[in-house]
Amino acid sequence: MTNFTRRSFTSALALGVAAPAFLRSASAQSATIKIGQVVPITGPAAEAGKYAMAGAKIALDEINKKGGILGKQVEIITEDDQTTNPGAVLAFSKLATNPDIVAFVTSIRSTQVHAMAPDIAKIAKPTMFGGTDPTLTKLGNPWLFRCRPNDTYSGKVIAEFGVKELGLKKWGIVHSTDAFGTNGMKALESSLLALGVTPVAIQGYANQSQDFTPVVLALKQAGIDIISSYFTFENDLGIFARQLRQLGVNAPWVGSPSIVNTTAIKLAGAALNNTYGVADYAEDSSPEAKAFADTYRSIMKVAPDNQSSWTYDGMHLLAVAINKAGKTDPAAVRDAMLSIKGYKGAEGEYNFNANGDGLHGYNVVKNVGGKIEFAKHIEFPA
Amino acid sequence: MDMVFQLLFQGIGIGSVYALVALGFVLIFRATNVVNFAQGEFSMVAAFLMVIFSVDLEWPYWISFLLSLGGMAIYGALFNLGVYFPLRHRTYLPVIISTIGASILVSNSTLALYGPQPQVLQPLLDFPGFNIGTVYLDAQYLLIIGLTVVLVAFQYWFFEHTLLGKKLQATSQDKEMASLLGIPVATMIMLTFVYSAMIGGLAGILVAPILFVSIHMGGTIALKAFAATIIGGFGDVAGAIIGGLALGVIETFGAAYVSVPYKDGFAFLVLVAFLVFRPQGIFGERVAEKA
Repeated sequence: MTNFTRRSFTSALALGVAAPAFLRSASAQSATIKIGQVVPITGPAAEAGKYAMAGAKIALDEINKKGGILGKQVEIITEDDQTTNPGAVLAFSKLATNPDIVAFVTSIRSTQVHAMAPDIAKIAKPTMFGGTDPTLTKLGNPWLFRCRPNDTYSGKVIAEFGVKELGLKKWGIVHSTDAFGTNGMKALESSLLALGVTPVAIQGYANQSQDFTPVVLALKQAGIDIISSYFTFENDLGIFARQLRQLGVNAPWVGSPSIVNTTAIKLAGAALNNTYGVADYAEDSSPEAKAFADTYRSIMKVAPDNQSSWTYDGMHLLAVAINKAGKTDPAAVRDAMLSIKGYKGAEGEYNFNANGDGLHGYNVVKNVGGKIEFAKHIEFPA
Repeated sequence: MDMVFQLLFQGIGIGSVYALVALGFVLIFRATNVVNFAQGEFSMVAAFLMVIFSVDLEWPYWISFLLSLGGMAIYGALFNLGVYFPLRHRTYLPVIISTIGASILVSNSTLALYGPQPQVLQPLLDFPGFNIGTVYLDAQYLLIIGLTVVLVAFQYWFFEHTLLGKKLQATSQDKEMASLLGIPVATMIMLTFVYSAMIGGLAGILVAPILFVSIHMGGTIALKAFAATIIGGFGDVAGAIIGGLALGVIETFGAAYVSVPYKDGFAFLVLVAFLVFRPQGIFGERVAEKA
C-alpha cells in the first residue's frame, strides 16, 4: 500500500491516545436523544445555514430546559451539505450510519430533499424538511414531514387576499417564463378562476430582461386594477417595479415571496412601497412568532426569517411527537406526528395531513416604507 | 400613438447602451482582427468600481466616476498585456479563447468578492425624469442617449482629424505597413484596448442605475452589442451605432406588439437574417473576409 510516513504515524498515535476519550463520550451520549441536522455550513447558502442552525439550537435549549425528550437531554449532530445535492446526500448518509440518531431535520431546498428522499425512505426515520415543492409530500415516502406551507398555497392566498380582502377583480399577472414563474402563474390563475375571476392580462418575460416597458404598457392597456407577480430574480423585479411606477401604474400589487425579500427592497426602493407579498414567517403573525423573534434577535442580533423559524418548529415538533409516542420507535413517532393538531409554532399552526404537510396557510405582509408589516394570515383546511 | 413614442424612447435608450458596447467591440476588432468576448465584463468591472468608490467608500460621485474610468484605462492596458499581447503573433483562434477565459475569470472573481446579490448604484442626476404628455422620459436614459451622441461625434473627430486617430486607423488597416511608416503598432493596440475598456466601462456605469450592478449585467448586453456590430457591419463604427439603435428599437416594438417572452428572439432573428442575406452588414465589409 502507500508509504508509512511520519505524519501518518503521529496521527495514528494521536488517534490511539484519543480513542478512549471518544469511547467514553460515546457511551455517555447514548444517555441523550440525538437528532441529526443536515445544513449548509459551506457554499453559497452558508449564511442561511447559520440561521437554520440557530433556529434549531434555540428550540434545543428550550426543550432541554423543560426536561428534554422522554426525560433525557437532547443533542443535535450537524453535517454540512455544502449547499449542493451530492453534499446533502453525503451528509445525510453520514448521519444515517449513527444508530443513536432518532430523527432528522434537513433542508429548506426542495431539490436537496428530492436528492435525499430515497435514503430517507431506506433509513425509515422521521425527517423534517422545509422545501416547498408540492410533490415532495406526494412521493409516497412516509417519513417526510414539511414545516413550511407548500407552493400550492401561495397562489391560493394571493387570489383570496386580492379578490376578497381588497375586492379587486381586474387582475394582471406578470411572471417569469421559467419553471418557478410559469407554475406559480398557473396556480394563481386557477385559484382566481375558482373565485370566478378571469385575469385580464397575463404577461410572461424571460429572466434577465433589461426593459419592461412593453409589459407595463400591456398592463395599462388591459385596464388592470390589481397586479400579481412571480419574479425569480430580484434585479428583474427591481427594474419592473421602477418602470411600473414611472409609467404611472399605481394599482395595488400582491407578489410572490420574492417581493418582500431584503434584496428586492434594497434594489427597488420606494417603487415597492405599499405592495403586498406572501411570507411563511412573519414576526407579528402570532404570539409564538413574536416570542421566537425576541429570543432569536437577542442571540443573533438580526431579525429572524424563514431560514430559522422552520428548523425551530421542526425541533419542537419532533419533541412533541416523541414525547407523545412515549418511545423513539420511528413508526410510533410518525403516528404521533400525524396526529398533531393545532400545534402553534413560529411559522403558524401545524395540523399534519396524511401526506405530511404541516402548514396550510400563508401570511400576507405589507411593505410600508421599506419595513415589512404583518397584514393578514389566510388559512385553508388541511 | 403615445404608446409608440414611449416604446421608441425606450428602444433608443436601450439601443444606445448596445451601441456604446458595440463601439468597444468594433475598435478592438479593427485593431486586432479578433472579437473580444470579454467586452461585456468591461461594463461589469466599471460598474463594480463605481460601487466600490461611491457606495462602499462613499466618495463623491464625480470623483468616483473619474476614478472608475481611470481604473478602466489601467484595466484595459493590463487586459492587453495579459490576454492579447502574448498571443499577438498567433492566429485569431487562441486569442478568442484567451478572451473567453478572461471573461470567465473576471466574472467569477467578482462573484467570489461580491457574491451573487445585485448591488444598487445611484443615478448621476438627482431627478428621475419627466413626462411629455403621457410619455415618460427617464433622465438616465436621456443622459445615455445624449452621451452616446457626444461620444460618437468625439470619436469621428478623433479618428478623422487627429494624428493619433489616423495612426490608430493606419494600424487597424495594415499593421505591417503602419510599422514600416514608423508607427509604434504595439502602443497603438495598447491604446485601443485602453479606449475600448473605457468606453465599455462608461456604458456599464451609465446603465448600472437602471439595470443594477451584478456579475451578469455585461453578458446579455455584450451579446446584443455583438449582434449590433454584425447588423451594422463588423468593423464599421457608424454601423455599430446604427445596428445598436436598430436592435433596441426592433426588440422593444417586437416585445410590445408580438410577444414579450420572445423579445430576445427578435434581436437574434434579425441577426440571423443579416447573416444569411447581408453578411457584410448595413455598411461594412464581408465578415468572411475579415475572419
